Amino acid sequence: MITIEFSVNDKTYVLEVDPRERLLDVLRNRLGLMGTKEGCGEGECGACTVILDGKTVNSCLILAGQVHNSVITTIEGVGNRQSPHPVQKAFVEVGAVQCGFCTPGMVLSAKNLLDKNPHPSDEEIGVALSGNLCRCTGYDKILRAVKLAAEEGKQ
Amino acid sequence: MKYYQPQSVNEAIEIAHSSQGMFLAGGTDLVLQMQKRKIQPKALIDLGRIPELRDIKETKEYIEIGSMATFSDMGQNQLIAEKAASLWLACQTMGSPQIRNQATIGGNLGNCSPAADGLPPLLALGAEAVLISGEGEKQMPLADLLEQTPLLSPGTLIVGFKIPKIYQLSGFAKLGRREALAIARLSVAVALELDGSKAGKVRVALGAVGRRAFLSDSLAQALSQREFNESWLELGISQVQGVVRAALGDRASAPYKRVAVAGVFREAIASLRQQGGLDK
Ligand SMILES: Cc1cc2nc3c(=O)[nH]c(=O)nc-3n(C[C@H](O)[C@H](O)[C@H](O)COP(=O)(O)OP(=O)(O)OC[C@H]3O[C@@H](n4cnc5c(N)ncnc54)[C@H](O)[C@@H]3O)c2cc1C
Ligand code: FES
Ligand code: FES
Repeated sequence: MITIEFSVNDKTYVLEVDPRERLLDVLRNRLGLMGTKEGCGEGECGACTVILDGKTVNSCLILAGQVHNSVITTIEGVGNRQSPHPVQKAFVEVGAVQCGFCTPGMVLSAKNLLDKNPHPSDEEIGVALSGNLCRCTGYDKILRAVKLAAEEGKQ
Repeated sequence: MKYYQPQSVNEAIEIAHSSQGMFLAGGTDLVLQMQKRKIQPKALIDLGRIPELRDIKETKEYIEIGSMATFSDMGQNQLIAEKAASLWLACQTMGSPQIRNQATIGGNLGNCSPAADGLPPLLALGAEAVLISGEGEKQMPLADLLEQTPLLSPGTLIVGFKIPKIYQLSGFAKLGRREALAIARLSVAVALELDGSKAGKVRVALGAVGRRAFLSDSLAQALSQREFNESWLELGISQVQGVVRAALGDRASAPYKRVAVAGVFREAIASLRQQGGLDK
C-alpha cells in the first residue's frame, strides 16, 4: 500500500491505496464520487474524464500513485442543481442530454476548453470534445450547447 | 507490487536495478496492459516526479525533448512547430485530447507499437535517442536503436531525443486510428533540406508497415539531390510503393497498403509544403 495526498474539488484527501488502483476506482469507490463514469475502461470513450492539474485526462488510464500532490476536478466540483455551471445550463437548455452517461465527461472537456479559451471556434470545440463519445445525441446538440455557453460567457 | 517515485534520473536507474521494476510514464499503454493482465510488473517506477525529463529546449546543435514530454506539450510548443513540423503534425492527430495530455514520447518508444505515431517523424528528422542505464549514458541514432532486439536492455531508461538543427522542412500524414484493423493503418514522415528548388538530403520513414517504424535507405537515395517538383513527387510515390511491396511481401495487408501509401505520401508532402510556407 502507498499513501497519496491530493485535492479533489477543493478538498484535500490523504488515502492509503493499492498502487494498482486506478484514479477512476479511487474516485468512485473510495470517495463516492459516482459522477465519473466507466464506459470502455480503455481510454476510448472519455466517460471517465476528469481535470487533472488543468488538463483533461481519462481516469481509467491513470494509477492512483500518479496523482500524488495533484489537483483534480470531477463533475461534482463543477456545479450542482442549485447553481449549475454555464456549460451545464446550456446542455439542459439545448437538450444535449439523453441518457446522460457521456455528459459528465463532455461537460468537463467543455468547461476546461472555455476556462482556457473563452471564445473558441467551432473547430476548436470539435477538437476539445473529440475524446468524448456519445451514443445518443449525434453531437450536434452538444456542440451547440458549448457554443451557447461560450456566447453567454461573452455577455 | 511496489511503487516508487524517484526524484532524479540516477535514483530511477538505481531503483530499476534493485527492484527489477518497470518504468511508468503516462500509463496510457502500461495501465491498460496491467488491467488486462498482459503485464504484471514486480514494481513500478513512476517517472512523473523528475521535472528535467519533461524539458523541451533548444541547444546549439539540437532541439532536445525529454522522454516525459507529452504529445500535448510537444503539440503546443512553438519550437517544435517551427523546427520539427513533422513531429508537431503527428502530435495534433495522435489519440484524443485526453490521451495527448497523458501520453509521452518516451512511452511511445518504450511501447514501440508498429503504429507508434511519434517514431516516423523522429526518424525522418534524424533524431538521436539518449539512453541511460547502470553502465552509463549513451546516445545513438533512433534508426539504429529501432533495429535492436530487445529494444532496450532491462533497466535502461530513455532520457530523451535530440533532433539536429539542420535546416529542414518536414511533414507527416497518417491513415487509420489506433483501434482500426492493422491493415488500415499507415503513416509517412518526410524531412528534406531544400536548396533553392532542389531537394538536398531527403529522409522518409514509414509507420505500420512491418514490426516497427523504419527509415528507408532506398527512398533516401532515390529522392535526394533532385529538383523538388511534380515529377519528384511522382517518383517518390512509385518508389514508396516499391518499399511497401518489399517490406510486406505477400502479407494480407500488402495489396491495400501499396495502393494507400500513394495517397498518404502525397499528403505528407502537402503538409511539408504547407508547414514550410512553400504554397504561399
Ligand atoms: C485510446 C488510446 C488511443 C491511442 N492512440 C494512439 C495514437 O493515435 N498514436 C500512438 O502512437 N499511440 C496511441 N496510443 C498508445 C499510447 O498512448 C502511446 O504509445 C503513448 O505514447 C505511450 O506513452 P505513455 O507515457 O502513456 O507510456 P506508458 O504506458 O507509461 O509506458 C509504455 C511503455 O514504455 C516504457 N517506458 C515509458 N517511459 C520510458 C522511459 N522513459 N524509459 C524506458 N521505458 C519507458 C514503459 O515501461 C512501458 O513498457 C493510444 C492509446 C490509447 C489508450
Ligand atoms: S472509461 Fe475511460 S475512456 Fe472510456
Ligand atoms: S447522452 Fe447517452 S451517451 Fe451521450
